[in-house]
Amino acid sequence: MARETRLHYQEELEQLEKHALEGLDFVVQTVDRTIEACEHQDVELAELVIADDDRIDGRYLEIHQSILTLLATQAPVASDLRLISALLHVMKCMERMGDQCVNIAKLIPVAGHEPPADEKMLRDIVTMGKQARSLITQAKRAFANRDVAMARDLVRQDDVIDNLNRECFHQALEIGDDADAREWAMTMMLVARAMERIGDNAVDIGEQVAFVVTGLFREFEDASHPGEVAPQPSTQ
Amino acid sequence: MTEQERRTEEAGSGAAPDAEDRRGLSQGIAVAEGARPQKGLTEEKVFELNDVAVLYDGNPAVREISFDVFKNRITALIGPSGCGKSTLIRCFNRMNDLIPIARVEGEILYHGEDLYGPNVDPVQVRKLIGMVFQKPNPFPKSIYDNIAFGPRTLGMKGDMDDIVERALRRGALWDEVKDRLDENAYGLSGGQQQRLCIARCVAVEPDVILMDEPCSALDPISTGKIEDLMMELKDDYSIVIVTHNMQQAARVSDMTAFLIVELDASEKNRTGRIVEYDETQTIFTNPSDQRTEDYVTGKVG
Repeated sequence: MARETRLHYQEELEQLEKHALEGLDFVVQTVDRTIEACEHQDVELAELVIADDDRIDGRYLEIHQSILTLLATQAPVASDLRLISALLHVMKCMERMGDQCVNIAKLIPVAGHEPPADEKMLRDIVTMGKQARSLITQAKRAFANRDVAMARDLVRQDDVIDNLNRECFHQALEIGDDADAREWAMTMMLVARAMERIGDNAVDIGEQVAFVVTGLFREFEDASHPGEVAPQPSTQ
Repeated sequence: MTEQERRTEEAGSGAAPDAEDRRGLSQGIAVAEGARPQKGLTEEKVFELNDVAVLYDGNPAVREISFDVFKNRITALIGPSGCGKSTLIRCFNRMNDLIPIARVEGEILYHGEDLYGPNVDPVQVRKLIGMVFQKPNPFPKSIYDNIAFGPRTLGMKGDMDDIVERALRRGALWDEVKDRLDENAYGLSGGQQQRLCIARCVAVEPDVILMDEPCSALDPISTGKIEDLMMELKDDYSIVIVTHNMQQAARVSDMTAFLIVELDASEKNRTGRIVEYDETQTIFTNPSDQRTEDYVTGKVG
């Protein structure tokens, strides 16, 4: 009967993953605040989002250092190596999603205290935010459970955000001649774009789930050929 | 050193006493001279193992071994202690012939010819398929004579000084010893002694070099030099290496075979079997068998 070895290393690896995925909880919290700040033009809450990004960046740097240490000291291979490689990507996505929230938060004071908001467009942006939040939690769950089907489903969920983003674009085009309203709509387009990118980052995490499980990395969808299956990477 | 150990080491060091037939394993086999491996990786097979088993006193040490060894590639054999790696590598140049209780079953083809065929000369086999051992084993002679011993014994033609220099250069040792070729080889460091043994192996112009844990007694610097040397040598030779060092297998080899050890029903006899054989990159990034995964990641021992 083979006995288990390298228990300390296995424990370290488990802790590393747990710690990394906790970082996604920080992002969920930040997305919640960002949605609320958008919905209510809450500049103070927006400032909190900006300040709190240090917590996300700190976690990113912490995990990055831990990964370097593990690579240097434990020489991980096979599924351990895939997990560590995937966590590096996940952490980068986490950091980028935090930055997108900061980008949105910085736009809130620009939109003004009582902007000429278009209710439908604002509602769509809030829906996008909630959908992005849902994607992040689903991506985290898929990673923790190594659930490739759940990870693949992120593409379908992300389509909702993409459609709303296009909808926002059309609404901005048709908002009318009022200069203030147009300025607000343009600002909201930037917000919508940032939300859309958060959704994309969640899908990227899903792709890493598939890589950890199958050992093959491929994009779920090829951005340059939307609707088509991404090309197979060369094995050579 | 026992008589058997002496015979084993001399046999495996390319110091074969019989120089009569250097044209092949036996009459009519078109290998050796004129059959040097070409530059670059190819899919040409050097060895084909079909259902090979090695038995000691009737008990299988390894069984059901089937895989191919490719030309100009470094093939690593990895696995836990007792899985039969060393037993297996010794089949490639019939070193197990020197152990009276050992018997090899199944088929091992060398360039398509049965390595254990009735007309095959084991001495010629060991000339074509040299071996480097875990512990450096220079002869108690000068550096020069260590290298010259095999070529002289085999009656190789050519200027002996040139042969020695060429072999020492191939062994990445020339610059370090060129001014003291007459000194005793025992005066060299462990790493230098091992490179001398590789140079001695290369001096008789083999086709394949077998290495049984060649770096296990060496420090990281010497290990690095041997690994660099292996990467250079594979342009001209096919190399099979047994190693316990996972990272070494990952660093130097192109193909990796993973063996496990199994206990029989009585739990007294241990037998090695191959679990997975694939490109090294695959073995160390995405092995297909969970047992390989558990071993290379160090989860089980």
